[in-house]
Amino acid sequence: MQNKLSFHQSSVSLEIIGLPDYSINENKDQISIISQWKLTIVDKPLIEGKIEHLGPIMDAFYIYSNLLIKNEIPIYESKLIDIKADNLHLHNIVLKSSKANVKPLVLKIGNSLLSDTINCFDQLNESPKVRIKKTDITTNIPKKLRFGLNKKVKFFNFFIPPFIAIFSLILFSSSFIYFYSPFENIEKKELINPE
Amino acid sequence: MRKSFVNNNIKLNEFNALIKITVELAKYLYPYMRDILKSKEDIEENSDIWNDFNKRFIELIKERFNVDSMKVKKLLNQSENVEIIIRSLLILSFCISNQGYQKLKNFLYDF
Repeated sequence: MQNKLSFHQSSVSLEIIGLPDYSINENKDQISIISQWKLTIVDKPLIEGKIEHLGPIMDAFYIYSNLLIKNEIPIYESKLIDIKADNLHLHNIVLKSSKANVKPLVLKIGNSLLSDTINCFDQLNESPKVRIKKTDITTNIPKKLRFGLNKKVKFFNFFIPPFIAIFSLILFSSSFIYFYSPFENIEKKELINPE
Repeated sequence: MRKSFVNNNIKLNEFNALIKITVELAKYLYPYMRDILKSKEDIEENSDIWNDFNKRFIELIKERFNVDSMKVKKLLNQSENVEIIIRSLLILSFCISNQGYQKLKNFLYDF
């Protein structure tokens, strides 16, 4: 008998079906071996798949939502899923099937459904009853964005403070040139007392 | 940006406390935030919620913020403030989980 767990948020629900891992003495109601999952969005086709698809799809939604709120170009592309923004309010999701001759599923969701979906995934991540093994994903995020995602190494922030410091020091010290000029004084003395 | 003559810097523990309060409020207000986002998605069918929210937002900004500041003027401009409001609502609606406090903190530090 398989266990079934559901996570709901407004118009979205996520169902996880699987078994506990008895080899590590897990409880009966735990799910560690996920056999199937279903993501139901109201008025949209059902999204379902195997465990190897769940991790990449969750990661895609998380990365996309991060790009969206950081004012960056919200585009996520991978072998399994593409998410692009039509505009600030509408998001275009393309789910590609791993089976041959199956057309990709195209969904358009708004911000409200996007936040519902993210919250369902959050509930799943935080649930003590489900254990998800993280899978490695290969994505085609533009290099510029990937760089921004991994670590925001701001070169300007690194180089500008010492540059400003040195520049201001030069500027400050150069102003003293006008206060005292020994050569001018010698020339004046020579003019007054020509020997 | 606020209408205040005293320029106090916020302390770290006060900043963390504010994040906690914001997350707890966001959890409570999620259905309303969702409705506002939804209203803006199909503005032709359901514009009332968005219009009411934007009107109240502008009223509050005028009441409590320094309207001479350029940043505040941008918030008051109805054509420019849409993006700021939508992004702010999205950030709040992504942070209603139990780990919302950490998420919101990360978002803020990342800006």
